Amino acid sequence: MVNTEYGGIVKMLRFFVQTKNFSYVDRIGNALNPEPVEVALLEALRAFRSIRESAPIDKNGRMYVEKDGNKIPVPGIPSDEEIKKFLDDVRSDMGVAKLVATLALAYPSRKENSGGGE
Amino acid sequence: MFLSVGVRFEANVEALNMVETAGNYGKHRRVPYLVEEEGKLKTVYVPAMSGESLAHAYQEHLVREALSAGLPVCDDCQRGEFYKSMNKVHLKKKVDPIPDNPKSIEEAIVKACVVEDVGGFLYAEKPPVRRSSAFQVSYALPVKSVALFATSEPQLHARHAQMDASSKKGNASEQMIYYVETGTALYGFTFNLDLDAVGVSAITSKPILDEDEIKKRREASLKALFRMLSSSQFGAKLSRFFPVGGITELVVAATDYPFVVTSPIYDDYIVKTKKRLEVLRSFGEESFLAVAGEEKVPEEALKEAIDYLHEKGAF
Ligand SMILES: [Zn+2]
Repeated sequence: MVNTEYGGIVKMLRFFVQTKNFSYVDRIGNALNPEPVEVALLEALRAFRSIRESAPIDKNGRMYVEKDGNKIPVPGIPSDEEIKKFLDDVRSDMGVAKLVATLALAYPSRKENSGGGE
Repeated sequence: MFLSVGVRFEANVEALNMVETAGNYGKHRRVPYLVEEEGKLKTVYVPAMSGESLAHAYQEHLVREALSAGLPVCDDCQRGEFYKSMNKVHLKKKVDPIPDNPKSIEEAIVKACVVEDVGGFLYAEKPPVRRSSAFQVSYALPVKSVALFATSEPQLHARHAQMDASSKKGNASEQMIYYVETGTALYGFTFNLDLDAVGVSAITSKPILDEDEIKKRREASLKALFRMLSSSQFGAKLSRFFPVGGITELVVAATDYPFVVTSPIYDDYIVKTKKRLEVLRSFGEESFLAVAGEEKVPEEALKEAIDYLHEKGAF
């Protein structure tokens, strides 16, 4: 299933959605060809790494970011295999990008709602 | 009268339009761009400046020009906070009590503030009142033929703080490293100004102000454009990333009715603009065109256009 194949990317994009930054998820979801997806993912990963570098850690050892008084857990960085697979799949089927973006916008199901860093 | 300006400017290592910071990374605005390479179209991502950013700069210059001409500018706009009478709180500062019909609301706002007269506003209450901007501005985008050479590149900077062992807290370090993404390109943008809309109601199309006041406001809006282009005071981060470069070319057209110069992102924009104006002239419409390039500096071309408008009685 998509959720396990691209779970890391979905979680990262969902993190941006939770911090009210819709730019990456919109660009990935609305892309008409693979290039914008690649660029948006590259930029998302770059921004995400910077955010993780400066994110504080709570007493349970989890990274979080504070936005409007809410503590939003910072998930892990998607693996390189996952990203490669995602980009390869997007190149053959743009529907994959749309699906990942849609999942990132959806309410997370309870069993994966744990969030948090690795 | 309608004024249209096409501007080409070279900017090296600029941070004129930053979009967000994530951690220690400040990003430049970038847009997808369609370019032709070996007969094939491809999408490239190029650095860009939003029209909103240019419009903000223009309105700041307009504040200054209006005030120095003794024209009214509301307190919010004077501070460079262009709320534009967006709600009751901001409108009450201009007119109290607030009138109950759109016509009187527009009249009160236009009378009280040149920026909202020229730059438009949206009063989002009951009844809502909207006034379109008399000026229009495009995004600044790299010139098509050289767009593939445009770059946006992060530059490493460091901020130092002097700290001894006792004042060091937690994992705070003496050095904060951050990246500023800078753009380098030959940019083009278009700026239009509809002088007939100044001081005229968007609801009734009738003048709100007397002719003398309208002429003064038109002059201020032309001077603001002149100053903005001549001083290169537009965009962000000028204090440390003032772009290295300047205006390389400029065309300015003045016509009786709306006419927009061909976009300067195309290499043949000057020739095309001339041709298009000739067709207009063949219909008997008077027009003016000045080109700044190798022989003429941008200020000269702009001044000629302003002189032409003055002769025609625009102000
Ligand atoms: Zn104002």
